[in-house]
Amino acid sequence: MNISRRTLLGSSLLLGASAGLSACGGSKPSPDSPSTPDGGVFPPGKMIMYGYGQPQWLLEYYNPWLERHQDIAKGVTIDMVQNEGEAQARQKLIQAMSAQDYASAADVIQTSRVSLLDMAKNDILVDFTDYLSGIEDKLVPGALSDSAYDGKLYGLPDSVRPQLLFYNQDILDTYGIDAESLSTMDGYLEAGRKLKTDSKGAVQLSQIDPTTLAWRYWGRRGLLPQAGAQIWGDDGSVVFGDSEGTRKALGYLGTLQSEGHLFVTKMFQAPLYDAIKAGKIATFYIGAFFDEFLRGNVADMAGKWRAQPAPVFEDVGTAGAPVIGLFCAVKKPEGQYSALWQQLWNDFQFDAEARQTWTTKMVEENAPYANPIALDLLKDPFWKEPSDFYGGQSFRETEALGLQNSSANLRVTKDDAEADALISPELEKFIAGDQSIDDAIKNAHEALKSRISTTDPK
Amino acid sequence: MLSFARRHGAGYLFIVPFFALFLVFQLFPILWTFYISTQEWSGLGEPESVGLKNFRLLLTDPQFWDATANTLIYWVCGLVFILPLAMGISLLLNKRDLHGLRTFKTLTFLPYVCATVAIGLIFNIMFDTQQGLVNEVLGLVGLDQVGWLTTTTWSKVPVIVLNVWRHTPWFALILLGGLLNIPRDYYEAAKVDGAGAARTFWHITLPSLRPVLMFCMIMITVESWNIFAEPFIMRGPGTSNVSLFQYMYESSFRLFKYGYGAAIGVALTLILALVSIIQLFLMRKDADA
Repeated sequence: MNISRRTLLGSSLLLGASAGLSACGGSKPSPDSPSTPDGGVFPPGKMIMYGYGQPQWLLEYYNPWLERHQDIAKGVTIDMVQNEGEAQARQKLIQAMSAQDYASAADVIQTSRVSLLDMAKNDILVDFTDYLSGIEDKLVPGALSDSAYDGKLYGLPDSVRPQLLFYNQDILDTYGIDAESLSTMDGYLEAGRKLKTDSKGAVQLSQIDPTTLAWRYWGRRGLLPQAGAQIWGDDGSVVFGDSEGTRKALGYLGTLQSEGHLFVTKMFQAPLYDAIKAGKIATFYIGAFFDEFLRGNVADMAGKWRAQPAPVFEDVGTAGAPVIGLFCAVKKPEGQYSALWQQLWNDFQFDAEARQTWTTKMVEENAPYANPIALDLLKDPFWKEPSDFYGGQSFRETEALGLQNSSANLRVTKDDAEADALISPELEKFIAGDQSIDDAIKNAHEALKSRISTTDPK
Repeated sequence: MLSFARRHGAGYLFIVPFFALFLVFQLFPILWTFYISTQEWSGLGEPESVGLKNFRLLLTDPQFWDATANTLIYWVCGLVFILPLAMGISLLLNKRDLHGLRTFKTLTFLPYVCATVAIGLIFNIMFDTQQGLVNEVLGLVGLDQVGWLTTTTWSKVPVIVLNVWRHTPWFALILLGGLLNIPRDYYEAAKVDGAGAARTFWHITLPSLRPVLMFCMIMITVESWNIFAEPFIMRGPGTSNVSLFQYMYESSFRLFKYGYGAAIGVALTLILALVSIIQLFLMRKDADA
């Protein structure tokens, strides 16, 4: 008996038990909206957070914040539970809630839009509509676009990070390529051709993962929103293969791949960093989050890399779409920390001094961090400071610049996780050389139509 | 009834703990899985009955058939490679006059005790198309690079290699146990009769090991159809090396389609049951012969 089957069956069993137990009444449900206890003081205890990526670095902000707020949160600690990814965090929460194991269920969960939709639909998230609608105009545009379900706002955006172009300045200098020419998709492709010719194939324009991350980084978060592509129509029908934007986006990727401009290797693994260090990859068209991977894994290349907003399709004209990091508070019976989490999140976004102190610490420790999403904070010169890793260029300023003129993200529905699982394999087969990009689009479209057909477009 | 209880009560009492655990942790979840396979459920809220829709979808799902075909290949390769290799190693380990036998035994068993995830990551690096050690070696002997994990043609190979490398020692150990149980007199008698090594192996070792070999075959079958970690860590393009168990896991815990995942589980159970019945039938036939 192995883990996954045990987990599935165990959760089923627990769900059955919970169904019986829930009939017996039991715990007092927590309110829909965050509520501060009488007197504004939170009871001592553990606020459990489910995170993924590298959430432990946030504790370097959260713990000092709790220290500074002993008047309202004496005896409160944060338990950051690291998960492999978004799906595992959601799975853990489902199991804990099903089993009525509220002691280990998250008070706060890092999540994605797809999961938010399902959790909000099933009424296990705290509604932050009143609070968020009051501060929306203070946040970068589009910050709340992933937070809504059925007219209410549930997700507190932790970061809004654009699609960028990272490039190795040394390589561009060696082959006489002006970074300015990479601001359009046509210019980017031309640079790839020049690199290939002049380096005799030793240097490739960019990299692509042979598996699921190709669709995530080049497709869903990259070229498709920039080309104005759609997976779903306004009525929820599948329009993926019929969309002009899809053909433009994936056609472009098809050209890059078939002309040999993409170094095929898995993301985030040693061979990729070896290739970067060996000067085999000139650029990365990817989200701003890649900064932490560059700084962390090729630190010895400090000064060689730069970043700029993602290249644009000239006839569309908009830059990369932002990726929004989300945290939601869980509506668990006897839950007592959603209002505390709201205050903590509020200060993380709006307390300029504390945010700068934390960011400076992250820089010293070569750890990940993102720009704040509060417009006022971003005006401070601190967020334009130069970075040694980027040869004196301000990465923070570049990140802010990347959010300007950004493309709208693809419409995300409750079926998008499955849609990804249907589209991605077809793209992967194209990368593997098994089919043309046109066939990949056609097959993905047919798979979407036969398996999902229509979705709830909300 | 009372006399029956008096006569057999103690016996039943002894098996109660097992059956209690079996009912709660195995039988009920299995029945629940069958039930969930007829539902649409994301893990939250009430499951919605969809009848046999999940099974109909399975039949027309190319990813399911890919995963089934991949798993079938893993099973066949497991039988073809693991058993002979394990047999060879166990025969070596059974040589009492082998120099450094203890060291060799330890080294042989090492792959089985290594964490699959850690080894999988190392294999990922070794089989990388552009930077991997395997392609470096191929280059040294004048061969072209192979897209081990970047092409659908080759992506099953690293998974098979890792699977064989990890499991061979375990089965070698089981076969060694079988070899040690064969009375030495048989071999001495064969030697007196002038039988060579090949004839001795064919007429004494193999027939004596038959029950152990059958056990190994069943174990390889079960483990091959349940293969998960190897293809999960060394994923190739599309569903080119995805196993059935992995597909079940991903449908359930990545896409949160528990009903569909349970339907895959039911299909996997039926396949395993069918294969096991065939193997048991062959074993019985063999025993009767």
